[in-house]
Amino acid sequence: MKKNLYFEDVEIGDDIGPIKRSVTDEDVIEFVSVREKKIIPSRFTSKEVANSEGLPEAIVPGPMNIALMAQVLTDWSDTVCLLKIDVVFRQTVPHNKDLIFSGIVTDKDETGGSTKLECDVVMENSDEVKLVIGTGVIALPNKP
Amino acid sequence: MLLDLHTHSVASDDSRATVEQYIKWVNVLRRKGKSIDGFVLTEHRQFDHDVNYASLASDDGIIILKGAELDTDTGHFLVYGISEEITGELDFSDVNMSAQNLVDICDTYGGIAIPAHPGRAGIGFAEYLDRGVTGFETVKSVEQLNGSNRPGEGEKAESLIKAKGYLGTGGSDAHIVSAIGTCMTSFEKEIKNESDLVQELRSGRFTAVRLES
Repeated sequence: MKKNLYFEDVEIGDDIGPIKRSVTDEDVIEFVSVREKKIIPSRFTSKEVANSEGLPEAIVPGPMNIALMAQVLTDWSDTVCLLKIDVVFRQTVPHNKDLIFSGIVTDKDETGGSTKLECDVVMENSDEVKLVIGTGVIALPNKP
Repeated sequence: MLLDLHTHSVASDDSRATVEQYIKWVNVLRRKGKSIDGFVLTEHRQFDHDVNYASLASDDGIIILKGAELDTDTGHFLVYGISEEITGELDFSDVNMSAQNLVDICDTYGGIAIPAHPGRAGIGFAEYLDRGVTGFETVKSVEQLNGSNRPGEGEKAESLIKAKGYLGTGGSDAHIVSAIGTCMTSFEKEIKNESDLVQELRSGRFTAVRLES
């Protein structure tokens, strides 16, 4: 069960995660289906199409990767309010492989009553290769 | 003296860290007992003579120097000691610039050019040497430790260093705040500015190190 975190509980340098998960073919189809009623084979859903475009396998769509990176922060605590996420794609993200997500608090903003935290977020494969990196800004409430 | 010789701020399009954030993080590392004296900003394909970080750094005693990471016909090169003459002679935005010319221009005008992440496929110096590229007699150092290396890239860099007798530098290749300082270069002498840095890199009085755990 997640602990409800408050701004005062967190220090710069605190770790978020790591979390290990994978994205299955079905996960990607479910994600793509939100926008497309009929799934057209693409580099995201078909190994054959991906191969024809020079990719070794089907890849996870960029917006889904952004969502996964954001989820690292929002899953940290029910009290997290995500204000901003900004990512850089460094490698393609494959289906059905272990992905390790981690974050770290890099700054606390207390000016003017703010309760914002800046965090780095990283998605790596099992070889510790960084696939997606980014930064997020979240807000936590003050302790009641 | 420990300097991270390879970092990117938001001036590089693929970085999400500001210089101010890097300074804060260096102080976090110091509070945790880690040693780091400063870093060199090596933005991709650009150099701004007018930017001066001295005022940002002085309060914390952190050395912040400027260099660049350039794309060339022989992979990426880290360039230090960049003068008006160097930027006048070279188009830093040219992704196919001649690496040999870059090295020669730096040698002539008081800078130094060092192959970055030499074991990386496509953009690493080792691959080009493997293909038969020759020259580069004045290159004496390559980036030995890179904090963003993928599996096998460090080993390829080590093989190159062993085969050619190169010296090795270290840099994090940080693109986010918390990556800074993961790899650094340990210098025997104090470095206060870019001229000192070039002098010490040419002297060979340095080793590549990882941030101690």
